[in-house]
This record gives sequence, C-alpha cells and structure tokens, in this order.
Amino acid sequence: MQQQQAPPKKKKKIKVPKVINGVETMVEVEVDDEGGPVWGPNGKHAILNHRLTRVDAPLKVSGAAEYTYDKNPPGLLYGRVVRSPYAHARVIRIDTSAAQRIAGVKAIVGATNEDVVEGSNRAADVAEKKDNMDLGSAKAPQKKERIVRFAGEPVVAVAAITPEIADDAVRAIKIEYEVLPHVVRAEDAIKEGAPKVYPDGNLEPKEKRGDAAKVEASFKEADVIFEAEYRTPILHHSCLETHGNLVDYRGGDSATVYASTQGTFTIPGDAAKELGLKESAVTAVVEHMGGGFGSKFGIGIEGKFACQLSKQAKAPVKLMLTRKDEFLLAGNRSGSWQKFKAGVTRDGKVIALLATQYQLGGLGDGSQAGQPYIYTVPNFYRERISIHTNEDASRAMRAPGHPQASFGIESLMDELSYKVGIDPVEFRKKNLKDEVYHRQLDRGAREIGWERRNKTPGGGSNPLKRGMGCAIGTWGGGGGPQCKVEVGIARDGSVSVAVGTQDLGTGTRTYTRAIVAEELGLQINDVVEHIGNSKLGAANASGGSTTTASLAPAVKDAAVNARLSIAEKLSPLLGGAKPEEISFSQGRVAGGGKTLTWKQACAALPSAGITAHGEWKSNLQSRGVHGVCFAEVEVDVETGHTRAIKMVHVQDIGLPLNRLAIESQINGGMIQSLGMALFEGRVMDAALGLQLNPGFGDYKIPGSFEIPELVPLIDDEDKREAVIGVGEPSIIPAVGAVVNAVFNACGVRVRELPITPDKILMGLSDRRTV
Amino acid sequence: MKSFEWVSPTSLNDAVNLLKSAPAGDDADDVARAIAGGQDLLTTMKDYITRPTRVVNLKGIRGLDRIEGDARKGLRIGALVTLAQLEENTLVRSHFPGLAEAAHSIATPQIRNLGTVGGNLCQRPRCWYYRLEEVICLKKGGSKCYAAEGENKYNAILGGGPSYIVHPSDLAPMLVALGASVNVTGASGKRTIPLEKFFTLPSEGSIRRENVLQNDEIITEIQVPASSFAAHSTYLKFKERESMDFAISSVAAAVELSLAKVVKQSRIVLGGVAPIPWRATKAETYLTGKTLSADVLAETARVALDGAKPLAKNAYKVPLTQTLVRRALVKAGGMSA
Repeated sequence: MQQQQAPPKKKKKIKVPKVINGVETMVEVEVDDEGGPVWGPNGKHAILNHRLTRVDAPLKVSGAAEYTYDKNPPGLLYGRVVRSPYAHARVIRIDTSAAQRIAGVKAIVGATNEDVVEGSNRAADVAEKKDNMDLGSAKAPQKKERIVRFAGEPVVAVAAITPEIADDAVRAIKIEYEVLPHVVRAEDAIKEGAPKVYPDGNLEPKEKRGDAAKVEASFKEADVIFEAEYRTPILHHSCLETHGNLVDYRGGDSATVYASTQGTFTIPGDAAKELGLKESAVTAVVEHMGGGFGSKFGIGIEGKFACQLSKQAKAPVKLMLTRKDEFLLAGNRSGSWQKFKAGVTRDGKVIALLATQYQLGGLGDGSQAGQPYIYTVPNFYRERISIHTNEDASRAMRAPGHPQASFGIESLMDELSYKVGIDPVEFRKKNLKDEVYHRQLDRGAREIGWERRNKTPGGGSNPLKRGMGCAIGTWGGGGGPQCKVEVGIARDGSVSVAVGTQDLGTGTRTYTRAIVAEELGLQINDVVEHIGNSKLGAANASGGSTTTASLAPAVKDAAVNARLSIAEKLSPLLGGAKPEEISFSQGRVAGGGKTLTWKQACAALPSAGITAHGEWKSNLQSRGVHGVCFAEVEVDVETGHTRAIKMVHVQDIGLPLNRLAIESQINGGMIQSLGMALFEGRVMDAALGLQLNPGFGDYKIPGSFEIPELVPLIDDEDKREAVIGVGEPSIIPAVGAVVNAVFNACGVRVRELPITPDKILMGLSDRRTV
Repeated sequence: MKSFEWVSPTSLNDAVNLLKSAPAGDDADDVARAIAGGQDLLTTMKDYITRPTRVVNLKGIRGLDRIEGDARKGLRIGALVTLAQLEENTLVRSHFPGLAEAAHSIATPQIRNLGTVGGNLCQRPRCWYYRLEEVICLKKGGSKCYAAEGENKYNAILGGGPSYIVHPSDLAPMLVALGASVNVTGASGKRTIPLEKFFTLPSEGSIRRENVLQNDEIITEIQVPASSFAAHSTYLKFKERESMDFAISSVAAAVELSLAKVVKQSRIVLGGVAPIPWRATKAETYLTGKTLSADVLAETARVALDGAKPLAKNAYKVPLTQTLVRRALVKAGGMSA
C-alpha cells in the first residue's frame, strides 16, 4: 500500500551565527521557507512583551540558589593552581616533595612531564597554533620544553582537604625557572629587537580592507584633515563568581561536573578528554552561574586541572579560581590602539579614512570591529593587526571588539564635528545611511535634553562643568538551529519545559516559562522549567547574544506542538472542534461552543500525559540591531573628578520577550561601559611583567555611588515579530558617549581610557588632549 | 594563609606577653600580630605578605570599646571602638565633626562595622608593589622601592624616599590635626605618644614599619584634647571611586576664627600624599592673622604643597591637594565656596 506523501516543504539557505569560545562566525544552514508558528503582532501578547519578574529572583535574593561555588559533596577536596611569577620563562625543575609532606594534601598534577596540563585560557585557535610550536619534537615528549608566556600562567595544581592547606601547599612547591626576556607593552612589542612572545614574532596581520591609494587621493578633496590615536587598556570580565568547576569523579565509568559556565554542553567533551571517559559518561550541571560575560566556555585550564586532580585523588575536587587567579589567568577584553587619519568636508561629510587598528590581546588575538564601523565613508582603508605581549590571552567579552571600535570611531566623529563646527548629532546623521540610527538619535537627544547641552566646552566660572555626549553601536543577536526543547503536560495539569541550556543571569528561565504559559493560556507560575543539565535537550552556548534567538523559537515550537497535541485529544470533548481552532486563554480551553478549565482539560489526557518537542524556526527570530547612547556628566575641573549624571540607551530588539529583563540588560550594559570609560584598566609593570592591580580594591569597577540615573529605552518602532538577543549591544556605545560628554563639559579630550582624575588635571594644565 | 596559633587573651597584660613570647620566624613579618577587626591584617595574611606565627585576638579584652569624654574634657576613644561607632557617635559628630567625617569616608559600611580605630591607625601601605606577593620591595625586606621608577600615580609627593608609600589611614590626618595622642601598652610598660610623633618616615624609622610601636605594643586608647578649633574641623577626602576607595589625597583641617573672621589658629594635615600624615606647618603659620579670602586660600594651598616632589606619574596630586586645602578651609571656616 502506498502512503500518501506530503509535498516536500520549500527550503531556503540562510546564514546563522555559530559561536565558538564566544567568538561568532557565520555558517550556512537550510531551513523551512514556509509555514510554521508565528509570534503575532508585538502588541498583542498576554505575558510576553510585559515586565516579568524573574522567576529565580527569590532563590537568588534569599541565597537559596546553589552555584558551583556552593556545592560541597562529602569528601570534597579543594584545588588551587601554582602560577608562574614570571612573564616569560622556561620551567627547569619542579620540586613537590615539601608540599607532599603537608598533611591534608591529596593530589598534585602538572609537576612532571608526563602529566603536564597543556594550554591556557587563550582562544582555542591560538592555543592550538601556538602551542604546537612549543612542542618541539613530538616524538620525544620527555624533552618537551615547558615555556610560560605570562605572569600568572598556571603550571601545577594541588588538591587538599581545606582551601588553606591547598594555599600552603602552593607555596611549598618549588619551581625553578630560567627567566627569559619579556614584553608587556604594545609600543615596546613592536620595536625592533623586542623579545619575541611567539617564535614568529609579535605582530600578526589580521585584515586589510579598502583601497589605500583611493583614500590618499580623496584626502585632496577634504577641507579638514585630522589625525588622532585612541587607546583602551585590557579590561577584566569581573564575574561575581570566579571561573571554576567541581569535578566529581571517583573512578569508574561516569563523572559529574558542576560548572560555572556559559555553555552547559561545552563541558562534557572537555572533561571526558581529561578523565579518559566517553563524552556521554560525563554530566554537566549548571543550575545557577555567577556571570560570564564571554569568559566561560569549555572547562578551561582550571577545569583541566580539576579533572586531573579528581582523577588522581579519586575524590570530588572543587577548583574555583581565587580572585587574583581570576584577574591573572581567566582571560580579558583585549586592549586597543587605533590610529586614524580622516578627511572631512566643510559640510560635515567624512570622505576619507585611514585606520590602523591594533588588537592588544596579549597571547591571544584580541578583537576589534572593523572601521569605519557603522558609518558610511566612501573611501576607507583599514588594517587590523594583533600585537602580542607576554600577558594572558584575551577572550570574548560582552560584545567582543565593539566597545573599543565604537569608542575609537565615536571619539573621532566627535572631534571632527567640533573641527567643522557642526552639532555632533547632526554630524553623525550626515554620515549614517541607516534611518534607524537617525530615529534613535532623535529619541535619545529628546530624552537627555540635548538642547540644554553646553555650547562652550570648559566655559563658565563654576568648577563643576556639565556636558553631554552621544555614541552608537550595532550587533547581530540572531540564533541558530541547536536547541531541542521538550514540553510536558501531565494529567494533573502541571506543565514542564525542559532544555539543557544555562541561564547566565540573562533571564532564560523566565522567558522559557513565559513562552509556554502564553501559548497554553496559563500564568507564568503554572509552568516549571528544567534547565542547566547536559542530559536534557541540546542547547547552544551563550555567546554573541545568540541564546534567546536560538532557544525561544524552539520553546515556542514545542509549546505550539504541545497545544496542538492536547487540542487533538480534547477535540471530542469540545464538539469535535478542529485542534487549531481550539482556544487556550486565561486558564480555559474552549471550542465547539464548550469551555473546560485547564484542570478539566488535562484530566481527560491519557495517563502518560503529553510530551511535545520543538526545534529552532528561523522565521521566529531575526538578527541585526542598532543602539544609541547619550550621557550627561559633571567634571570637577579642580579635582579632575568625573561624575555621570544621566545615561540614556535606545535599543531596537524586535519582539521583547520580557521588558523588565531587557531594561536590566541595558542598565547593566551602561554600567559596565561606564566602568570602561571612567575606572577600569589592567595596570602592568613593564620591567617586572606583573599586573599591579589584580583585585577589586585596585581594579576599580563602578559601585552604587557611581551609578547615574539610567534610562533604558526599548525602541518599539522596531516592528519585527521576531526575537533577537540584546545581551551585548548596550555595552557598546556608552563608553563613547561618556568620553564625548567629558569633552563637552570641560574641553579635555581623553584619547586613552580610563578617564581618571590625573588625566583631566594634566589635560587642563597641559595640552587639552590626554 | 599560613597556619598560625590563635590566642584570645582576656587581659592586656596577657596579650602583650603573648605577643612578646611568640616564636619568631625568618623575617620581620613572620612574628606575632595582634588582631582587632582584622580588616587589614587578614588581607595581608591571605596574600602571605605577613605570615604571623601567632595571632593575638584583642576582642576578648574588656573596656577598650568605649568613647568617653565631652567637649570640655576632650575625647577618650578605646582602640577597639569600631569606625561605625565613631562616625555615629553624637558627641563626636557635634564637637569633633571632622573625626566623624573621616570615619565615614572609610571603605564600606561592612568594613566600618568591623574595622577599629586602633587598627585603622596601624594599617599597612596600599602601594601596589607592597601588596603583591610576587614582589619583595623595600618595605618587605627587599632592596628596592619599585614605585620610585615604576607605576607611581598613587604614591608619595611629600616625604618620600627611600620608600614612596603613602599612609592609608583616614583617621590619622584628622587625629593629628586635632592634636591627639595614643596610649600604648607593651610588655615593658605603658607610654603615651603624641600622634604626630607616632608615625615615622621611611628615612627616619624602620623601613619595615610605619610607626614607632614595638612588636609587643598595643594601642589601647586615643586621646583627643578639647580645643578651640575641634568644633570647626573637617575632613575632605578625594577618591577616584566614591563607593569605596583609599584617599588619592585628603585634607584634615580645623580653624579657630575671631569674631572678625580672622584666623586665630589652624591645623592643616594632608593625607594620601606622604608616608605619614603630613602636617603643613608653614601653611598654618601663614594663615594665622589672615581672613579666608580667595587670595589667602590660594596662597595657603600653595604653601601647603611647598617642597612637593612628584614622581613621574603623580604630578596631578599637587593641584588636586591644593584644591582640597582651599575647600577644606572654606568648609572648616564655615564659609560658602
């Protein structure tokens, strides 16, 4: 008998982001080109697009939420790493005998050539390429050289029955080094004869784009030619919970890893490799995690050590980095050094731009969005080049490469606008094609009161000077086909939604519930979510703001399938109504002129209830957002102190799943960006090759007194009926907005971040640019 | 932190004897240490900068946690009085306002709830190089002050050399301005030290310490005399980060004005700019007999920073501190800016 085949669905090929180690690359996938669920108009939702309190808030506020740090299984050992105090050195000898004699020390790994734990937390591609150069002859591993390339690089790890004993054991391990020449400053690293960070040198070209000859030619048509350099230091993610894992492997053929990670599914494979197990034999658990900002993918060097220690001790080992470890070896946001030459016409058109963009990623490549970024400049030429130094490798950090690029180009645009005497907002519009930016600039200007803006930077006799500035960013935020979601409805009316994804503080738990509740006409607390476990349905790692646009469509699809499935079962009770015509609303199910309560409806289900599955649907998501920030600041020109007064961020987002969560995201982005503008920066001693401020006392992030009035605005003019991730865009433009506001206030142009009082005071007494 | 012996004596006598009798290690930082709030000591222990063999808990000793006195007799502040107690005390707030302001300016509420007055005066330096376990600088028995030619934006502009630390205490400049002295008990007896003589420059005292205390000595009480200027005292502290920071620069000031608004006497003590609370005696002298006009204030500020020798990266501290001197005097003198 021949079965009736449904006609094959029309397919199309689209490009979607795939995130590896937090770095986004685009890959092509095939998706349905028709049919499938839709969200409906953005203004018509009962739960979505409202301000939803996050469902895990009570747990977190009360302290009941258990993070990796809080897990304490019986027999737990505490791991610590031994770091190199030298920025560049060869390991000659390791003597662990004194440490082994300390009572309570249970395992030491990495001390012999047989159990070297390879690599660092540098980006995966760099690690492989560069580490291979260290290996020398792979045939003779006993002669393998162990080179440390930054101060803080972990060499050995210990596990002991208390953290304090582990700390003492760390100091008892004697490592003899042959100290090699190092370089930690980009300007030193590019000098002839500088110590080589890698065998092939310190400069690594990344990209060339545009036509340099054309740019040179068009400078002749410019009315003003202007050159400037802008720099940002290396920054730290500053996660509340440091990196770390609890590896519970007591021998045998399975293990559990409690991980503080942005990628539940990045853990089992990494851990299995270290433990010598099958990937499926390792379960990763990520119930709650204390922040990642791009720095937590894979188990990392600290996780490799934890696995090895657990394997050796046959006991659970918790290796959470100390705060100092976290600064020294957990990765960072690459610094930047951008050199511009721009040509502009009197009427405010930037017609030519030369950009040399150095990415300062230490051992890593660093990242920087290409210039002229969001602006339309008819003739531009850019080179992006990595400068390597003997510092820990950069990792992805919230909008990798974008705050640096935005700060550079937005400072330049601001300086150019003053040069030609055109209002900075108007000047930007003249060089922006995309109308969305025009609309967002207008809204931000209205909100901050741009017309009140200081007309003469530094003018007036009051030492407290106010000023305003603006800046712009862009981001992707689309998803990809990785999530497998299951929705279950039981006969007692309970509803669950399960997927292995992690909630890194962005509200995943909340919208996962909300989507299902909306679809079934229930309240948010009628649904329970199960996430954070690699034994549940697959999910992507949370990088590049791709989580929501990957996960929400799959949740929606599963919820729709669950609705249709229960509707089919209920049809006989509802006058034979067609499943798709049965309505689910306000806890009631109606069709065929009849109405059931949710409980009555579920009671009619078979004993196993209903299980429905969902996958990613490309039409439920989109990518590509803008984002504009305005800042007002007050500069005390007699002390150099800068205080932010008000910050406004306008963000388009498509369908906002949870307005409160998005507003919080935007606020968080502005605060982190304010830190970049005014406070934060890694400080290195060039001669010693050491970081001088590896702690929250000396690496200053904004505290509650530093937070200005924050105005997060969702741009509802964006009518796309599609979800887009916006974890990242709000950190991008605020830094430029603050820098430009400082200039508008006091007339000092700070071209090297952060804007600390010394720079303002020296700028005022000296040359007006610092 | 390195394992240590913990003792909790209930009498001063026992405490100082326990400090004296503790086994000494290889280094000046491997000896006994007294702990009160522990807000500084524990951070140095966790970083293995100090490695005490014995930690003597002072919290079990009675009678050291009170503030007594009045506006006419002056204040007696027990060494175990917390910073929170000090900033909230009504007697202090009304008659020694600068002292309450100084206490309030310190760290965070959590730290002020635990940190003590005695501990605040005995804090170790915040210099980046001192605080790094990897660096053995002059203050830790090494041969070099790395800040002298390294990253020195927070270091001393006055009184530096051979070490360029700045003293981190906020109470110290204010207490020096108020003419306070400390009562000290040691294994060999008691003594009273004017606070101005308590702190030592690196060029004078032991390079390993910031004051004249012997290792078996404990501050028991701070005496603040009544004065005609205490009620007109103020403490202005400049932080890079308001929420929590040490002083980049600070000024403790107090003035006594005549009815004609002429300065009868004044105290100007600078914090955050020198290895000790830096009394600007010449500026005080200059100010005597003058009114607080803009010109006089500017000249006072200039004189107060006379002799400043900035390092490569801290020249900004000179104009910054001059601003604070002017503003502190305006406030202490009850003028509007």
